[in-house]
Amino acid sequence: MKSVREIAPVVLPPVALFLLVVLAWQLVVRFGHIESYLLPSPLAVARAAWTKRTELCGALTLTAAGALCGFAASLIVGTLIAIAFSFSRIIKASCYPYAVFLQTVPIVAIAPLIVVWFDYGFQSVALIAFIISLFPIITNATTGLTNVDRDLVDLFELHNANRWQVLFKLRLPSAVPYLVTGARISSGMAVIGAIVGEFFTGYGATRFGLGYLIMQATNRMKTDELFAAVIASTALGMAVFTVVNIVGATVLSRWYHA
Amino acid sequence: MYRLPWFAWFAAAAWILLTGCGRVPTEGNSATADDAKSDTNTLTKVSLMLNWYPEAEHGGYYAALVHGYFEEAGLDVKIIPGGPNAPVVQQAARGAVDFGVTNADRIVLARAQDAKIKALLAPLANSPRCLLVHADSGIEKFEQLQNVTMMLSREHAWAQFLIKKLPLDGVKIVPNSASLAPFLADPRAAKQGYIISEPFVAKKAGADVRSLLVADFGFNPYTSVLMTSDQTIEQRPQLVRKVIDASRRGWEKYLADPTETNRRIHELNPEMGLEILDFGVRAMKEHCIEPDAATDSFGRMTSERWHLLVSQLEELAMLDPGAVDAAALYLAE
Repeated sequence: MKSVREIAPVVLPPVALFLLVVLAWQLVVRFGHIESYLLPSPLAVARAAWTKRTELCGALTLTAAGALCGFAASLIVGTLIAIAFSFSRIIKASCYPYAVFLQTVPIVAIAPLIVVWFDYGFQSVALIAFIISLFPIITNATTGLTNVDRDLVDLFELHNANRWQVLFKLRLPSAVPYLVTGARISSGMAVIGAIVGEFFTGYGATRFGLGYLIMQATNRMKTDELFAAVIASTALGMAVFTVVNIVGATVLSRWYHA
Repeated sequence: MYRLPWFAWFAAAAWILLTGCGRVPTEGNSATADDAKSDTNTLTKVSLMLNWYPEAEHGGYYAALVHGYFEEAGLDVKIIPGGPNAPVVQQAARGAVDFGVTNADRIVLARAQDAKIKALLAPLANSPRCLLVHADSGIEKFEQLQNVTMMLSREHAWAQFLIKKLPLDGVKIVPNSASLAPFLADPRAAKQGYIISEPFVAKKAGADVRSLLVADFGFNPYTSVLMTSDQTIEQRPQLVRKVIDASRRGWEKYLADPTETNRRIHELNPEMGLEILDFGVRAMKEHCIEPDAATDSFGRMTSERWHLLVSQLEELAMLDPGAVDAAALYLAE
């Protein structure tokens, strides 16, 4: 258990900054006579979040499910692709450019096609979240798996270790910090991917995610509801990010050090 | 890592403060100068922002430009094309543009959020908003929309109206896409459109379609409405008068003889061919323009229509009851 003295320097500065900014924001809106269609006050945002709490929670759950499915898939698939890259120079040389292609493809351009191929609904949302969050995993895991101390590889070969033993006992453990970095980047991107996906596919007539709430608030120029929905989505991204950090710092770091 | 978003908020707030607050007074100051200038035979610079790419629904404004009606009124009008989610209402309300074109429901929703704008002229008295269905679907009216996939932007007021008023048995609602392909591929699909363009595109693609006008079903906001801020109306009444009159002349010209104007629109927006623009004008005359409108009453709005729209938006829970005064929504002539 960490002591208060250890935690305080980490927690206090961002909290203090947060309070200062919120206070300044409230004062600027209040005394700067800024109309609500330009910028809502933090109080108005809090009020909108409270009155819309049922819709926000429902939407958050649905978006979270889509983002997490996409994120989990990109972790698994991305790591497998990276392993394939680390096994064979030829596979890596021939496939890596296409992985880069994945990163640069404008998702808003292909989202309508994804809907045509995979139909409207949850699966398309998760797929878009997957596509958008896959590349950081591939590139970071590949770097981690291939940047292994040459002497250690020689040592493993000296002891007649096969490539699977090298993979599980040397390459994968040493790739853990890289993989965690990739997952951190991907965690936020998966949430963005899910919301973009919702713009294009939706979930039918009755259910909706944060993407729909954002469009609805934009259409009605209700900036307070818009900010509430945006804060909910950033909270979701931060939650995934935090879980990645915790898993990286506990479970995986033990493997790394072992 | 946690701080970044808050810096971003702060930067956004500062940006809006600087641009939002700094702009309005400057425009206001130059306003009096502009009005004076027009007397000494120099043209007054005026900006007019559209809610979409240049199309037939904006024809009258372009006609006033092409045929020199704005210039005759002493105005040098710059028409700024819009697009998806173009912030016309916001820009007009804060004075970043002098005039804007939008639909009546957006004006109501904007006013509910303290964006002080008013409608000035409503060239399209009836909304061109429609749902396309395949002709062989047997669907001839909205009540028959059952077991279909409806492709529509459900956050919009007219879509909310349909969702509230229709039984929707077996109806799947999916977001609208710019492409017609998903609609063409599904014989049980219904897709949103404007009666002045989508039926033409569908026919060109070989589909036999039927259009159901949302206006006929009871939701009929004025469309392609000319609007400006309360501030402009108060501070530059003569300018407002001139822009209304020249726009009205433009619309009358456009509906009578759109050839030259359509050529200009086609130049500005090559995606709009001359053929579809021509179709658009004919469809607009048939469905959207009041046939008996006398010359000086063209585009004039009624209190009943604005009251009805407000009560409909209240009923759809898009507007808090009493949040908007219908009389403040438009400039009575």
